[in-house]
Amino acid sequence: MKVNNLAIDIEKIKEEYPENPLEFFKGKRLCLFKACLEKYFPGVRFGIKNLCEALDLKVNICEKQSCCSGTFFQRNLITRAQFAAINERNLNEINRQGDILLVSCNGCYNSLLRGRDFLKTPEVYKKTQEILKGVKEEMGGEKYPGQYEILDNPNLRVMHDLDFIYLIRESVINTLKYDLKGLKIASHYGCHYLNLDRDRDTETYLRDKRKLEDLIELFGGEPVDYSEREACCGWGASQIVLHPGDALKTTYSKLKSAENVEASFLLMPCPTCLYTLSKPEFRDQIEGLFEERLDIPTIHLNELIAILRGCEEEKCIALRRHSPRIHEIYETITKE
Amino acid sequence: MTNVNIESDEEWSYDFLESLVEDIEENRNIMQCISCGKCVGECPAAKISNFNIRKIISKVLRGDRSVLKDSDIWYCYLCERCKRVCPKEGINIPLLIINLRNESFKKGYGPKYNDLTKYVDMASRFLTNGTVLDDPLDGELSEDRVKELDKICDFARIKYVFKARNANQQKDSDKEESQEKKESEIL
Repeated sequence: MKVNNLAIDIEKIKEEYPENPLEFFKGKRLCLFKACLEKYFPGVRFGIKNLCEALDLKVNICEKQSCCSGTFFQRNLITRAQFAAINERNLNEINRQGDILLVSCNGCYNSLLRGRDFLKTPEVYKKTQEILKGVKEEMGGEKYPGQYEILDNPNLRVMHDLDFIYLIRESVINTLKYDLKGLKIASHYGCHYLNLDRDRDTETYLRDKRKLEDLIELFGGEPVDYSEREACCGWGASQIVLHPGDALKTTYSKLKSAENVEASFLLMPCPTCLYTLSKPEFRDQIEGLFEERLDIPTIHLNELIAILRGCEEEKCIALRRHSPRIHEIYETITKE
Repeated sequence: MTNVNIESDEEWSYDFLESLVEDIEENRNIMQCISCGKCVGECPAAKISNFNIRKIISKVLRGDRSVLKDSDIWYCYLCERCKRVCPKEGINIPLLIINLRNESFKKGYGPKYNDLTKYVDMASRFLTNGTVLDDPLDGELSEDRVKELDKICDFARIKYVFKARNANQQKDSDKEESQEKKESEIL
């Protein structure tokens, strides 16, 4: 029983392609993981897809992929083995059509790695195998070999969008039409990017937590530090749904801290954090609780890339008409 | 030292911990906890609630099962910050919390009923279209895939939440029907 870590080895790519890491991805099949919350922010998916296509990379989406189920695992509504089985079913399908899985959401990224991680425990591995065997019987057999088995040694590797964009940043910059000159930007990474230790051996654990700031600088903006930089957005594994009065204190502190340093907007690599930090109803509730209106705009990195690439507003920040001052930021960046 | 008053060695009991270790071997590592409090200092939940992981670990190590009744365990953000700042190797606090919540469910304590009801719609959408939101960006999953998910979730709590919703819906519709019947009789 050997369960390999699916996180991509960024250091190895850097070693093999020191001049141009984009070369590593040429000819490979990139699959975009469908994060549920992208529904509210279609620009997140559009941004990365549009960028990949501009860089002549092959990109696809797996129709058969379900939600990562992290929400249900976190609230004890499914067991570790069930969670791992859902994960294996997704990975199995994606492995058939992709070499690299790009993930736009910290929660999904955590789930994908965590599901594999659980399989390192022999009892969980055994139970997951039994569950998948039961599914195979229920479905009347396999449509392809290994459909209902734990992926032994998959070709597939998982990569967070932020790590991908950062790795190929020198190529990304050549595709941009606008820059961030004159803008002060605060970064929010999100807990499940900052604190993950499942990819401890790769560069994303304790070091290199300045990728967003480096990208802001590269794109001509000024990164600004703020006291709550590493704090949670307030989502807290659905705490904002369960105990909004308490969790919104976390959201308030984060937004207030970024406003205090006069950031033009808050940049992040996760649609779940974006949902928490931008939802108009939450901003209203914050105003009610703290008697203070906070209107700092919030943008996902993929949306920002689309704006900088000169894509039309409707595509970049679709469905976000009610997000605070988002149109203003779009106008500022795209001013000729 | 912890801020808990330990008077003698007899107060320590590892039976409770052993039962947790039976489920998740990694839980054994909490014996290495030096009660330094870094996890509490960096914890977002501790800033806004009574959630205090140092106290929870201390209770588990003393064999104090009252921690399972404690509503605090349901306040954890599962953000994994504690894991990152912990000076010891291998202490997995988020997994311990998930384990404690499971035990709490098994004993019939669980989260507040209202908290669970907030998951009813999400559970229902997951088991009927494979996502947690209505009208997903890429359309619904195929029937086959939904059937697979349904099978994987056999006997899981998510199914009970889902069934409870259907039962409630049926109850509401029966109620409505009988009300309509009554009204038509009156008229």
